[in-house]
Amino acid sequence: MKKLLAIASVLLFSMALAFPGTALSQTDPGVRGGPINGQPGATQGGPLPLASVNANAPTGILEFFDNGLGRFQEQEVVSGGVNNGLGPRFNLNSCSGCHAQPAVGGSGPPNNPEFQVITQGIASGSTNTLPSFITAHGPTVVARFPFFTTSSGSPNRNAPNGGVEDFFTVSGRADAANCNLQQPNFQQAQQTNNIIFRIPTPTFGAGLIENIDDSTLLANQQAQAANNFGIGGAFNRNGNDGTIARFGWKAQNKSLLLFAGEAYNVEMGITNEIFSQERPLPQEEQGEGLPASCLNLSGHGYPEDATNFSVASNSDQAAQNAQVPSDIVLFAEFMRLLAPPVASTNAPGGSQSISNGSSLFKSIGCSTCHTPAIRSTQPSNITASLGNVTVKAYSDFEIHHMGNGLADNVSQGGAGGDQFRTAPLWGLGQRIFFLHDGRTTNLLTAIADHRSNGSEATQVAENFASLSAGQQQEVLNFLRSL
Amino acid sequence: MISLLLRLMVFFAASLLVDAAARGAAQPGPVPAGLILVKGAWSSAAGTLSSLPEDGMVSNSRYDNAYFGLGYALGSNWTQRYQGPPPSDSGYYVLAQIEPKDPALDPALGHILIAAQDLFFSAAPVHSASEFIGYIQQHLGAEYRVERAPIKVRIANRDFVRLDYLSAIAGLHWHVLATEIRCHVVQFVFTGTRPKSMERLVESMNTVTEPIGSAPVCLKDFATPDTVLEREDPVYTESRFNPVPVRIVIDKEGRVKHIHFLSAFPEQAKSIGDALLQWRFRPYLLGGQPVEVETGLLFGRAARPSVVALH
Repeated sequence: MKKLLAIASVLLFSMALAFPGTALSQTDPGVRGGPINGQPGATQGGPLPLASVNANAPTGILEFFDNGLGRFQEQEVVSGGVNNGLGPRFNLNSCSGCHAQPAVGGSGPPNNPEFQVITQGIASGSTNTLPSFITAHGPTVVARFPFFTTSSGSPNRNAPNGGVEDFFTVSGRADAANCNLQQPNFQQAQQTNNIIFRIPTPTFGAGLIENIDDSTLLANQQAQAANNFGIGGAFNRNGNDGTIARFGWKAQNKSLLLFAGEAYNVEMGITNEIFSQERPLPQEEQGEGLPASCLNLSGHGYPEDATNFSVASNSDQAAQNAQVPSDIVLFAEFMRLLAPPVASTNAPGGSQSISNGSSLFKSIGCSTCHTPAIRSTQPSNITASLGNVTVKAYSDFEIHHMGNGLADNVSQGGAGGDQFRTAPLWGLGQRIFFLHDGRTTNLLTAIADHRSNGSEATQVAENFASLSAGQQQEVLNFLRSL
Repeated sequence: MISLLLRLMVFFAASLLVDAAARGAAQPGPVPAGLILVKGAWSSAAGTLSSLPEDGMVSNSRYDNAYFGLGYALGSNWTQRYQGPPPSDSGYYVLAQIEPKDPALDPALGHILIAAQDLFFSAAPVHSASEFIGYIQQHLGAEYRVERAPIKVRIANRDFVRLDYLSAIAGLHWHVLATEIRCHVVQFVFTGTRPKSMERLVESMNTVTEPIGSAPVCLKDFATPDTVLEREDPVYTESRFNPVPVRIVIDKEGRVKHIHFLSAFPEQAKSIGDALLQWRFRPYLLGGQPVEVETGLLFGRAARPSVVALH
């Protein structure tokens, strides 16, 4: 009995050390149950479109959404199949593999699909090794090396890299001819602390984000300018026309079409009408590029994904029309037309707790960056539900300095190595992994990690820490209601 | 009882393991501050200034900032655990974030934010400490209640504007005091749960010292076609479109004496700095005598129409 109590005391003391101020008090309620995205009728494989899309207004748009949903789930191969062009380097062979939680279009799922790539034969186990940081139930990630390396393998601090390092090669696959490529040296990158990770961003409601005019975002920035929380903020701007970019962890992508085209090329190795060359790794690009034996593996030329100028005739005109665009156009339409998540009014914790949590969230300064509502979108020339609506995304779409605790040392456009876009929080209640690299599944840890040297969010995190355990629980309940 | 305790422990241990698994075996550690590719503050000069706005520091129970001529005596139980972010594109500085050495005392003692807004680049349309405080009050959300409307107060021989407000649901009070120094609004923000403790912190501002020595005359929008006699445009190596706010000190002969980039990538600072050192201004006369001038320039994309952009 005494022995048990002694063990219990030691364990409780250890837990208190691990979660100072939190042990045995407030807890993250975890992934919220109930309807997917808070939308009755939604399923994992069937996320709901916007209301006007569901009403097929304008006529034919629902077919584009459905076709896009289908293409988003297609399994790509290198050659000889229906969907060709995979590789020569890739992270996975479908969009929906990574964008899966809580439904197609979302973030990383509980069972990491990258862990299955070799066992399912998507990559050959004789030529590929599963990087040790990819775990069965860990976050689905992509990897980047912040710096190029010297000849000895150590990071060269004067040579920023930051490009995606694909995990797998098509080498050894039966449909990949004689392409012979090596994987990046992930082990060395880990040993030299020259690797960072990013998880998939969810795309529900993305069409609303795309349809916010710059002036609306600038007005919101100005309204938040006189905060007393130590928060600045800036926008990442598109390098072509200087307007505000808003997609991706660093707001580096201007539009959903660009987002789709880049991901198709970078994550799956499929060239398209925006990115029409096969992508070597950053270090290969500095040398001789990809070997000839790894080019045009599909045998159909480039780009591997292109507009379908000739499609089979169909008595259903809308269905025939939806066959014409390239994959990336339909990916973009699918994401653009996805309905935003609907927050729960009573779970977890009940409506009063959620309401209090919402007020506390605003009071302590979270809403300075995680702006609850942006009013409103531009008129839409696509479908009624995209126009003149309030965007309850809980983001200002600005980039903020987040300190050395979160910095990934990758600069993209106007975003420095420590800057990140304010992550939209809608749908948070049903996400599993948090922060850009999925480092935690616990909201309390995610909040605490907002505080570090050089972070704009330190004062707000301090304010959260100054709340009572009960108040903190209400904030957590509110966040999981989103 | 023991069984319940053990179950609780197993639950928490499992939580720890699940989170540790989620973190993965190879999550990178924090990046040392000196190695981060930051869009931040830089300075270059033909002749150097002795101090910059962001150079203040907390040490020996004091906050000192030579640029603003500020000295603020803190009690021995205060510290700065986390440094602030780099200055923003709109000229907002977190100068110091001060908290109790003992984190358990935070709710009782509160915490102190010392910040500055460069009035040359402000995102908010304000031109003085009074307007700045008014703007804060005007934009307070429905969660807050004003406890003390803006009022002018004199502390340590300086004029401040003070605003107090409260979030009842959070039980948190804010006491904000702002003053103008070198075309900046410098703010002291006290946040805490106990107004009496916070009032003692405000009273301790009597230790704030006076600016020492003379600073250049600060003038908004000094660079005009009338005053810029010679100029070279920067040659950018990358197209980034971010605004680059720059403060310069012009000497009595009209040459750029010092350049301070509030927020720029290193290659932008190099391009703009190389160009600015070739600029020549009409000397500014005060009482018939040429004097040094401190002014602001905005390169890159214009963030606000009120600021003169120089492409």
